[in-house]
Amino acid sequence: MGQAPLPSPAGRSLLLRCVRAAGGSAVVLALVCVTGAAAQLALPAALGRTVDTLLGSGSPARWLLVTGLLIATAAAAEVLSPLVTGAGNARATAWLRRTLAGHLIALPVPVVRAHPVGDLVARLTGQATAAGTAASAVVLGVTSIVPPIGSLVALLLIDVRLGLACAAGLLVLSLLLRRFVTDASAAARDYQVVQGRLAAALAEALGGSRTIAAAGTAGREIDRILRPLPELSRHGRGTWDALATAAGRTSLLGPLTQIVVLATGGLLLGAGRITPGDLLAATQYAALGAGLGAILATLNRLIRVRTAAARADELLTVPATAHGCRTLRPGPGELRFLRVSVRAGDRPVLDGVDLVVPAGRTVAVVGSSGAGKSTLAAVAGRLLDPDEGCVLLDGTPLPALTSESLRRAIGYGFERPSLFGRTVREAVGLGRPEALVRATTRTAAIDDYLDRLPHGLDTPLRALPRSGGENQRLGLARALTAERLLILDDASSSLDTVTEARIMDVLLAPDSGRTRLIVTHRPAVAARADLVAWLSHGRLVRVDSHDRLWAVPDYRAVFGGPA
Amino acid sequence: MTVAGSYTRAELWRLRRPLAGLGGWSLAEAIPALLSGYATARAVDGGFLAGRPVTGLAWLGVFALAVAAGAAGSRSAYRRLGGVVEPFRDRLVTRVVTGAVRRSVAAGRPDDGALARLTYQVELVRDALAGLLTVLRGVAVGLAAAVAGLLGLAPLLGAAVGVPLLLGLGLFFALLPSLAARQRAAVTAAEHLADAAESVLTSHRDVTATGARALADDLVAGPVAEQARADLAVARGGALRGLALAVGGWVPLLAVLVVAPWLVRRGDIGPGAVLGALVYVRQGLHPALHLLVEGLAAGGLRYAVTLSHLLTASTLPSPAVADPTPAAGPLLRLRDVTFRYGPAAAPVLDRFSLDVRAGDHLVIAGASGIGKSTLAALMAGLLRPDEGTVARSGPCVLLPQEAYVFSGTLAENLSYLHASTDAGLLEAVGIFGLGPVLERLGGLHAPVDPAALSAGERQLIALARSWLAPAGLTLLDEATCHLDPAAEERAERAFAARPGALVVIAHRMTSVRRATRILLFDGSRPELGTHAELRARSVTCRRLSDPAGRPRDVDGLDPVLRAGLGEDPRQVVAHSAGGEGQVRRDVLDGEALRRDLEDA
Repeated sequence: MGQAPLPSPAGRSLLLRCVRAAGGSAVVLALVCVTGAAAQLALPAALGRTVDTLLGSGSPARWLLVTGLLIATAAAAEVLSPLVTGAGNARATAWLRRTLAGHLIALPVPVVRAHPVGDLVARLTGQATAAGTAASAVVLGVTSIVPPIGSLVALLLIDVRLGLACAAGLLVLSLLLRRFVTDASAAARDYQVVQGRLAAALAEALGGSRTIAAAGTAGREIDRILRPLPELSRHGRGTWDALATAAGRTSLLGPLTQIVVLATGGLLLGAGRITPGDLLAATQYAALGAGLGAILATLNRLIRVRTAAARADELLTVPATAHGCRTLRPGPGELRFLRVSVRAGDRPVLDGVDLVVPAGRTVAVVGSSGAGKSTLAAVAGRLLDPDEGCVLLDGTPLPALTSESLRRAIGYGFERPSLFGRTVREAVGLGRPEALVRATTRTAAIDDYLDRLPHGLDTPLRALPRSGGENQRLGLARALTAERLLILDDASSSLDTVTEARIMDVLLAPDSGRTRLIVTHRPAVAARADLVAWLSHGRLVRVDSHDRLWAVPDYRAVFGGPA
Repeated sequence: MTVAGSYTRAELWRLRRPLAGLGGWSLAEAIPALLSGYATARAVDGGFLAGRPVTGLAWLGVFALAVAAGAAGSRSAYRRLGGVVEPFRDRLVTRVVTGAVRRSVAAGRPDDGALARLTYQVELVRDALAGLLTVLRGVAVGLAAAVAGLLGLAPLLGAAVGVPLLLGLGLFFALLPSLAARQRAAVTAAEHLADAAESVLTSHRDVTATGARALADDLVAGPVAEQARADLAVARGGALRGLALAVGGWVPLLAVLVVAPWLVRRGDIGPGAVLGALVYVRQGLHPALHLLVEGLAAGGLRYAVTLSHLLTASTLPSPAVADPTPAAGPLLRLRDVTFRYGPAAAPVLDRFSLDVRAGDHLVIAGASGIGKSTLAALMAGLLRPDEGTVARSGPCVLLPQEAYVFSGTLAENLSYLHASTDAGLLEAVGIFGLGPVLERLGGLHAPVDPAALSAGERQLIALARSWLAPAGLTLLDEATCHLDPAAEERAERAFAARPGALVVIAHRMTSVRRATRILLFDGSRPELGTHAELRARSVTCRRLSDPAGRPRDVDGLDPVLRAGLGEDPRQVVAHSAGGEGQVRRDVLDGEALRRDLEDA
């Protein structure tokens, strides 16, 4: 199958792309942070000079003014920094969410189905928020290095010995902190994995709420969902323990560095080598240099950013469904399966199926549970790409078609359609003209139901009370705009036989101008098809009319009829 | 906020022991902060500047000891923080999960926003609580140490610093309501986003099949933009907080610079004390205020808003009142049951009565949307009738169309309703044809991934599970709709062979033929009888029951139609909402039928 290699959206580091998505705000934030850091850095020197002039006989006005200006600058940076940070984070998070959501939507169906919905939602909500702070975390992380490094330089300028004393302390710190990154990120990742499992179990139970209600097993369900809780707690404590180790070291080594500088400075002051102002500046620089609290917080944030970005990246690196660039040429709608095989692991689900669905005709697909009917239907409209062989619509292989051309030509009715949209109109009409929507709902025999709704087609989908059968008919109406091929995969299984018959009268009319492939369990439907494709264990047993096949006992057995 | 407040108080009271530990270690952590300025002042004024370097170094040595004690305190405090935060989070997760499951069960559909609450909001609260505890410790420790230290150096310095500090705090507290509103909007936006994402991702196959990717993108993009706007508003609030910080944290520094020289000139304090004062302001007061404004504003508001939202959304529904169970009588007795979905809605059931006894195999058939599932829910006690009574004696199992299979082992799934031996489970596996599934999964105790099963396989598991439950009343609400007819027949026969009663809401006429009694819904007027009786009476039933799918029994069609079913004396339920509309519906069916026959 001509799978064109699509450029992976995560070819570059996702984190870098998040930084870029934050836009100019990252640059502005860098400016604000650098200015703020510079003011913070200059402030001890200015304070020292001010104190010296205040204690001495010189005029302090000039240095007071300088100090005042520096204080104003530092304060302004503190006002601006959260604004710029928040704006950039909001923009980057929104970008990541749109990108990830768009990519998830474009992924092949089996890839998405392999993940519990709750887990995907967690990646798109909480974890995207963490990853979206990449730009600010990086800028804050980088600029948080400026004060310690700058302080070191300043100390060296005041007196070389002060600088050396401080450098020794900082070196030890940075070595110890590097170990912390690996420790904490492992605990944080384990925590998020267990959290995803909990969410998946909850999503599952919520989906089975009717069974649980009837069985009165809510209590046991809650216990089952909460079973990973002790493990979550353990990993949670692991993150705190890693933090405790780092915090202990920081709170010990930070002030100790400061004391070493103070002692060195005190001795130099006593020897008359530096002024009281210099000592003041030195203590402040030592505090700035050892001010690793901020770096610790930033490191902690960077760890979460990295973990969260990795979770998003996991899915972004899976290539989206590749579509070709051809549009369908005019044609009657002939569907052709050429030696189509699909495997699930080692198990063949479809095994070398060759089948032609003649243009404008109806072919029913019949077989017992597990025969491969739904897989054949999925392959027919490219919800699934076969492992071998190919499917052609009017001579064009489906993967060669653009997504628009493919989906305009082919419509799917499912046994359990999942409606999406804000209103019924969106969910059923998908943005198509009102007249067309009306026609399809009439054909699907759901127009009476829609007319009875309080706000008609504008009723919010969330507030739509519907039975399985009504849902199926809404899903069917949605599929009926297909131009060339209609694939119904047990799409009327929840309907009573009368309603089904009424709908099929219209759908299977010979002049409907569409080719139809219909997976069914019901003889009444198979009887109306032009041909029946009888599947068993992934192989095509026979293609013939229902009446002729009915003579075969095995065929009748498929419908539970007298064998 | 009071919900969050009282919940927090109660939870923290439960955690008072680890909290006390946290507080104790925090005090130890505060020692260096308290001593920092004082030790600096003494070391400089009494030591280095006085020509007594040993004294200076001794004071610094005292400071170093304090730092060591503080570091030990800091390390233990973080551990204790985990000991408070993690149990707190455990209980919150338990509450959220309990609320979500109970509410979904009561409503019969998934609780909105439950996943966002579990994954996102619980984490927000957890992080915010940890932040808050750190902040409160830091602020209490920092401010107390700085103010005490300053007062110790010179009371006037304390006053010079205190005034702008109070101004800054006042400004901050005045801003709180606006900041809270911004946070609330952000939380609501997060929930909208999670709901939209869940809806679209649940529909992923359908989005692909319809090619409506643009609509799907748009459904997520709206809430994404809403959240971005809310986040931006929160960021603007952050700038306002910065303003309060500037007044309360930076102005005191200037105040010290203005007041200190005057005190030095008066001879009240030495140069070392000025150094000490600046150390208190820069290293004590400013960081403490920073913690308060950033931590309390961001964390505290987020905590209060998110927690109260979580608690409200996880409120347990009021427990259903249990039906009075008769000691004897039929397995199920409905008397004059009337049910409507709203005060103005037409009744789905109107004065409906029915008895189901042990040995019954009742099939309920009729057009979709006519109230069959509602009847099943009433029978099972999931819905209460507006009028009339529903009484059950003995166990009752309802299987809905959507089979519930959870991630666990096959054995766990099968013994969900009733504990069974492996032999018992294997018998059920055999009866319901689950052998191939068992083989594929790798045994009874191998894990099951529900998403990897077909809808039919899930239904088989749910059926086998119900079959293993004690026999009583079994209600199959289209619970076999994804099975092929052979599997369906096997399943229904297995239930019918047990003691107790079987009620099947049928979607195929093959099920109808197996029933001992049939309840046929046609319009709002159910009819009860055997297959033969109804076949004689109803075209609808006869037409649907031909094995080959083609109506062949053309003779006698029109007379039955003309007779109209409403006048049948054997009709069990007296009431008929509108006989006229009913006849028209039958005629419509007859026309469809005739057209169908012509096609053939």
